[in-house]
Amino acid sequence: MPLAQIKSLRQRLRNFLWRHKRHHQGPQLSLEELRYEFQTKYHNFKLLLNANNKALDLMSEIEESLKGTRVFGMTFVRSRTTQIVTNVYQMIKNLDAIAPNKYGLLYEKFKEIQTKLDEILTPETHAEDAPLVIPITRVDKGHVELVGSKLATLGEVSKIEGINIPPGFVITTEGYRLFLRHNNLHEEIQRRLQVAELTDLGKLFSLSSELQQLIITSEIPQRLLEEIESQLKDYTLWDNSSPLRFAVRSSALGEDSEGISFAGQYKSELNVSPDELIIAYKSVVGSKYGLAAMTYRYNHGIRDEDVLMGVGVIQMIEARSSGVMYTVDPITGKDVIILNSTWGLPKAVVDGSVTPDLFVVSKEKRPQILERSISQKLVKYSCLLEEGICREELNALEANVPSLNEEEISQLKEIGERIEEHFGTPQDIEWILDREGRIWVLQTRPLAHPGKEIPNYQIDLRDKEVLLEGGITASPGASAGKVFVLRQDADTLRFQEGSILVTSQALPRLAPLLSRARGVIAELGSVTGHLANVAREFKVPALFGLKGALEVLEDGMEITLCADHRLVLKGIHNIKVPQERPKAIMEGTPVYETLKSLATHILPLTLLDPDSLEFHPKNVKTLHDITRFCHEKSVIEMFDFGNSHGFSERSSKQLICDVPMQFWVINLDDGFKLEPKGNHIHIEDITSLPMLALWKGMVKVPWKGPPALNTRGFMSILLEATQNPNLEAARSSEFAVKNYFMVSKNYCSLQSRFGFHFSSVEALLSDRTLENYISFQFKGGAANLPRRVLRAKLVSSLLADLGFKTQLKEDHLFARIEGHPLDFMEKRLMALGYLIIHTRQLDMAMDGISALNTFRANLQREIEEHFNI
Amino acid sequence: MEAIKLLMVDDEVDFLDTLLRRLKKRGFSVKGVKDGQEALSTLKCEPYDVVILDVKMPGMDGIEVLRRIKEDFPDVEVIMLTGHANVEVAIRGIELGAFDYLMKPMDIDELVFKVEDAYKKKLLRERKRRSKE
Repeated sequence: MPLAQIKSLRQRLRNFLWRHKRHHQGPQLSLEELRYEFQTKYHNFKLLLNANNKALDLMSEIEESLKGTRVFGMTFVRSRTTQIVTNVYQMIKNLDAIAPNKYGLLYEKFKEIQTKLDEILTPETHAEDAPLVIPITRVDKGHVELVGSKLATLGEVSKIEGINIPPGFVITTEGYRLFLRHNNLHEEIQRRLQVAELTDLGKLFSLSSELQQLIITSEIPQRLLEEIESQLKDYTLWDNSSPLRFAVRSSALGEDSEGISFAGQYKSELNVSPDELIIAYKSVVGSKYGLAAMTYRYNHGIRDEDVLMGVGVIQMIEARSSGVMYTVDPITGKDVIILNSTWGLPKAVVDGSVTPDLFVVSKEKRPQILERSISQKLVKYSCLLEEGICREELNALEANVPSLNEEEISQLKEIGERIEEHFGTPQDIEWILDREGRIWVLQTRPLAHPGKEIPNYQIDLRDKEVLLEGGITASPGASAGKVFVLRQDADTLRFQEGSILVTSQALPRLAPLLSRARGVIAELGSVTGHLANVAREFKVPALFGLKGALEVLEDGMEITLCADHRLVLKGIHNIKVPQERPKAIMEGTPVYETLKSLATHILPLTLLDPDSLEFHPKNVKTLHDITRFCHEKSVIEMFDFGNSHGFSERSSKQLICDVPMQFWVINLDDGFKLEPKGNHIHIEDITSLPMLALWKGMVKVPWKGPPALNTRGFMSILLEATQNPNLEAARSSEFAVKNYFMVSKNYCSLQSRFGFHFSSVEALLSDRTLENYISFQFKGGAANLPRRVLRAKLVSSLLADLGFKTQLKEDHLFARIEGHPLDFMEKRLMALGYLIIHTRQLDMAMDGISALNTFRANLQREIEEHFNI
Repeated sequence: MEAIKLLMVDDEVDFLDTLLRRLKKRGFSVKGVKDGQEALSTLKCEPYDVVILDVKMPGMDGIEVLRRIKEDFPDVEVIMLTGHANVEVAIRGIELGAFDYLMKPMDIDELVFKVEDAYKKKLLRERKRRSKE
């Protein structure tokens, strides 16, 4: 055992014992004071956990953005940074409220980090000389604030060699601002919104159409008009083989997810002639006041003025065929091109009015068509000569002809691969093929979801056996090695370098192992957790949320972990993971660089090991460190409550029950149905979820009384009694205290001292899974030390089987379990209650390993039988 | 339990109305006002538990309103709600005693949780004071 770990165990033990002493030194509080203390701590603890979860979610959003495969603007960067800073500050304040003045240094460290962030986030400057109109070919990924993310992405596509987008230009958000200013539209819209009473849908509906009308009748300022006309005059831009027509598309800025969740709420106008362009522009801008868009904003509290409309004016292409292409199979993740295609405009594919042709194409140099399904395409959309689009019925002959030939399919495949490579992540691409057979890209967006990304390489599964499949990719890559199952904390000491760690929960405390692990598999856990973050930092493949891992995987088993494909294979396989990181498309843009330098003060986790002396506020370097520190300390401070708070006896009620033991209950908050008048309370009048579960376990099986003793067992007690001052009945000893519960609806602490045994349970249980925990401490006994140690071992191993993390030092046991759902935790509490009652005095009968094994088998059987575990 | 008394301060009237209606449905006793001055005079006339305060308003800005509320009505909990991300303002707000600084868009459930948490804090503080007296 490494020295550091021995030290750490000692330290923990010392803390543990120290806490017990403190109980007796602590002040005696009145019931009112006690309740106040508890509720304040508990409330602050919950607030801290909420802030912690929120901060971690936001951090992983930043990390996701730093992959750089999706465009984003400064609005996003500012909003996420501000929210993270706020939540981290709240955590410090809450910890300070739980343990006043203990961690004051955190404030200083926080200020240092905040100053650095402020320096990077230079004050917002609004560029006055931003263009009102800009050709789409001059737009790229850096222009999100000017044109909205949809058009910024389209502009970026045009930078890829060999890819065409239709010519066009953007009326920018600056142009939109000018349009509003010119007509005093902001004030007018505000006024109308104020006088309207938005009490029912009918009134909202009429307001919506009124506002759209207002915008359509407003005047376009001369300067904007001139710039639009000069774009139109620049005929060299246009292909003039057919009459000039436009698609006028919205690209709004300022929604939370920059156009993703908001898709489809704004209007696009198709086949607009130059004469009608202005009216179409106003109509698209007006769609900001469409019913769905307005309702969405109200419900999410987005200010009207924060949504700016960029509008693309893109030339219509006469479509022979069109459709949608995925650059991987989104269902199976296979690295192939999926092509959907139909006659005419892509509207038919997008709105689902025809079943398109389907082609599955391999990504080889000479692509193979792996699958082809030609459907009957009875409808096509095309442009009307003058304006608008029409729906045409096709005859059966035309309808059954494939809408693409092999050469076109191969060209499309090439285009898909180039776009995917450029953005570094699989894409969903809308395309069009004109009468001359040229292909144009209309729109592209990433296919990926965090944790469920589609890998950019394949694994040949023909000669391999899949053991497990599913979960989420917490850290990418693949690796092979022997399984190391971690069931309790003590197991970490046996951890073999180069093993694949398998555990029930992805706990932050496992972080120190990752530098020596080849992979991590956890049944629970998320992409946003601490451990996932550390795994990515150490480049250790990790698969979390993989159900059944502990059932299937056993110690020493040889496996291959394919985190990208979310698979676990039997045996050792050499999986080649492409080394080069996909190029981040946003890299190099000012927005990206800003986020990147902010992230260096936010994301890295350097405080890894809570047992080390380095785990101290003075070593905090990032906001992530602060969250980790506050979380760890708050849990410890909270666990301590039942032990460190004395109370006056008058505040407790005696529990009326059928068992021959006496218990007292103290209501800390809402733990009773009604406050009883007398000095007694019935179990039926208790509402505390954890107490009820624990109690059920305690009374489920009647105690059979102390085990029969042989002479040596008796001797051991007699001998002990002569040496242990606490056993002297006349003395006021530390074991003379009664058994008492402290309860609220979701909290329970049980201190019980059955003669020479001391045990304490603390539990928090509710629907908020992440907050749930049970902690259990146990020591003492009447027999001599070897027997007491055996008994502690017995309890420890039974609890470990139930999923508790346990620590054992001589006859002192500390066990803890946290973060599981309510019903799971209730069962553990019941089993714990059962064990507390039925292992009493077993120490006296513990005269060897064989006794231990016999008792163990019996207890285990009864737990299974009575509690369905 | 008595309904939590909630005062909303926001110059964006459409947002204000919608939110007021939805919060009423959740059982809060709510009133909305359009600016800081009005908020302060409303608080003078009747007590409120929690104020939801927009940061960016014409006239007196949110931080100033917060400062005055905390000065004159220290028992009222204030939640700042804003569409404009600004680290300094956020931290300044919390230092001045705001319960939290929230960003729009805001999920209604989340906002309701926040209000309940803020109210709980107020109750606990009041109880402590009573027990001291």
